[in-house]
Amino acid sequence: MKRLFAMFLVVLMVISSFAGCGNSGGSSSPTPSASGNPSSSGGEAKPLDGEKPTLKYLGYNVSFDPNTDPMAKVYEEVTGYKVEYNVLPAENADEKLLMEVSSGADYDVLQISVPQFQTLLGQGALKPLTELLDTYGKDILNGVNENSWKAMSGSDGKIYGIPYKYPYPTEITNFMVVRMDLLKGAGINEVPKTLDEFYNALVALKNTYGDKYIIFTGPFRAASEASVSWDIPQNITSAFGIYNDWMVDENGKVIYMTEHKNFPKLMEFMQKLMAEGLIDRDWAVNNTTTVNEKLSSGKAIIATSNRTGTLVTTPVMTAADGLKLTYDDLGYIGSLYGSDGTNTYMRTEAINQVTCILKSAKNAEHVVNWINIKQQNQLYLNFGVEGTHFTFDTDGSIKPINPIFAEERGNSYWYLNSTDEDLFAQQWPSRVRKSDAMWAPFEAVTIKANKETPEIFVDNPFAFMPSLQNYSKYNQALFKSTSDYILQLIAGTKKIDSLSTFQKDWENMGGNAVRDELQQWYNEFYGK
Amino acid sequence: MKKKVNGIALSTSEKVIEIISYIVMGLFALCAILPIMHVVSKSFSSANAVTAGAVIFWPVNIQFETMSYVLRETTFLPALKNTVIVTGLGTLISMVVTITTAYPLSKPGFKGRKVFIMLYIISMVFFGGMIPAYMVVRTLGIIDTYAALILPFFIVHFNMFVVKNYFEGLPESVEESARIDGASDLRILVSIVCPMSKPVLATVAMLYAVNYWNNYFHAMMYTNSTKMQTLQVFIYNTVNNTQTLVERLVIGNYSNVSIDGVIAAVVVLSLIPIVALYPFVQRYMIAGITIGSVKG
Repeated sequence: MKRLFAMFLVVLMVISSFAGCGNSGGSSSPTPSASGNPSSSGGEAKPLDGEKPTLKYLGYNVSFDPNTDPMAKVYEEVTGYKVEYNVLPAENADEKLLMEVSSGADYDVLQISVPQFQTLLGQGALKPLTELLDTYGKDILNGVNENSWKAMSGSDGKIYGIPYKYPYPTEITNFMVVRMDLLKGAGINEVPKTLDEFYNALVALKNTYGDKYIIFTGPFRAASEASVSWDIPQNITSAFGIYNDWMVDENGKVIYMTEHKNFPKLMEFMQKLMAEGLIDRDWAVNNTTTVNEKLSSGKAIIATSNRTGTLVTTPVMTAADGLKLTYDDLGYIGSLYGSDGTNTYMRTEAINQVTCILKSAKNAEHVVNWINIKQQNQLYLNFGVEGTHFTFDTDGSIKPINPIFAEERGNSYWYLNSTDEDLFAQQWPSRVRKSDAMWAPFEAVTIKANKETPEIFVDNPFAFMPSLQNYSKYNQALFKSTSDYILQLIAGTKKIDSLSTFQKDWENMGGNAVRDELQQWYNEFYGK
Repeated sequence: MKKKVNGIALSTSEKVIEIISYIVMGLFALCAILPIMHVVSKSFSSANAVTAGAVIFWPVNIQFETMSYVLRETTFLPALKNTVIVTGLGTLISMVVTITTAYPLSKPGFKGRKVFIMLYIISMVFFGGMIPAYMVVRTLGIIDTYAALILPFFIVHFNMFVVKNYFEGLPESVEESARIDGASDLRILVSIVCPMSKPVLATVAMLYAVNYWNNYFHAMMYTNSTKMQTLQVFIYNTVNNTQTLVERLVIGNYSNVSIDGVIAAVVVLSLIPIVALYPFVQRYMIAGITIGSVKG
């Protein structure tokens, strides 16, 4: 007995001493290895008319369980494929993904971000899809535009990913919500369209209401699915011709926003608003929650926002126990024109997600077939049945029938892998219609701009740019440093004549290295 | 009449110091309690009041829909269940392994003692890295199971050495007398050594429990499915997924539930088990803080 007990203890100790190895926290960056186990790569194509395998899927983080959501059942019924959905974590998604891949993950299909796709592509971990798409994915091939395919191709010219592109490129993602009841009280009945009208409206509001209200609050820091957060609303920078952090001038030269000829004028305008008390004194420290609070509590008359922002604020502003406003009391300011007629708003031509297949995946043919079936049923899967979930409006657009549309198709976006891009761009606005609070600004700003002033939309020259080394390394810090500088200028703690000093610091922080890299990519991609 | 503390009258300066101490400590207490009151108030206030920033330290337009939403429509309860299982089962296994490891190592006569201690020290100082650890878990085929959340962590070297040192301090004569009475090693460990070591075992059990309860990084790495999500992972994902959360509230027509309210409710609900348990384990928590300190 004694001997047995001693042996048990020895075995236990040996096991536990090794078990302890995994106990120190640590999050050293894993490096993926392409060597994985490419056993099935290049194997013969399986016939797809036999039994359909259960596909193992890894997607981006989402706040619902994609396995139990009703949409999972709908997709299964339509495609005939049972899918086991897994999600990456909200934090450390890159580390988790690379660790899974480097240790031989057995997923059949991944839906990941563009930088994650580029990393896996660079490591040689992905299966080329060109032949598979030719055989099983004709609809996918035809539905995706050429530029999107170009961005999904490796240096060998083969396609390695299936893109899901942001469906509505010409959206005014950042706009301002204005209290029309108060604006009319100040003698202005129309929503401002130009920068001068906007300034005059702010002055009129200040003259009428004094310090009773915050005249104009912002910035709206939460980035939407289609835009980044800027410290100056992009529908104001548009009036100065500044539409992106990196742009290309008329000579084909890559420039940063602070190098744009109108940047000093933009800053002078913002400084003037601050000096005259027309914008929120807390501009530098506001965040999305405080901006929403100030608007929805009635403290502010004009606030920067986006679709998600109005989803939060409008129900409060129109509630019986809120400000008791109606939708007529809310106006939306879109992309403003400068005094010289300038108005440039960037098209959000971005690829949101990429679907790809690991070299080691066993069911690649089925995955492509599955995505192709989904795309063939794009209307049913994302919008439902005509008469039940939606109707066609007089202009041919889709009008959802709520609440059934929201309930039964609300979460379909997460299950999308590829779309017939042109068709989906026409269908997609109906998804915004699932909520009046989102639809009202979308209609007032985006749809109006598309109908009346489509010329304001300009291309993002870097929309299809892959993950570049210097850009990945420096750009976030450059953007942060520029944002801080802009806030200091607005607050008046720095003068615009310090721009050249800032520019030198910015160049030393990696600005020039990024610019050179972008210029080289731009010249190659556009054949300059 | 002079105020007395333990029968000794306080001088004026001592009284002043006492009053200042009360005020300072009161302010510290207030600093700790006010944010909690704010979060609790938000979780019970109407969506409009929360969004408009009307909630400070007291609920406005009290409602229970937010709590109900978190409990019914999110995976909070499954996540809590997972965490409770991992913490309960993990602590139990950890204690068994720690005690049965520490006991022989505390005996100077145990052959190979130094080798085993060296093995433990080596694996304590040198960490193989995240990828090898992940590959071991993956090769064992336990990814996305409770075992993945328990097995790699069932012994913390520091805790084992604390218990070993405590065992070494126990009088050998008690064990010898038990042995004379015919008790086996196992009997001595279970019936003599463990009861005599209750203080250190309770403290170490609590340290293990806290470790399992708070485990976020490994829980996130070793699980993939939503059904295996632990509470810490759930909280993090909820706080970082506000955009999809807003859409879900709209889709579900939860007009009286706001994002900030949901986040507050998740925080409050996840605090409840800790707050309920804390009074009972408080003294071990304090012992846990001083356990590694040098005694004079």
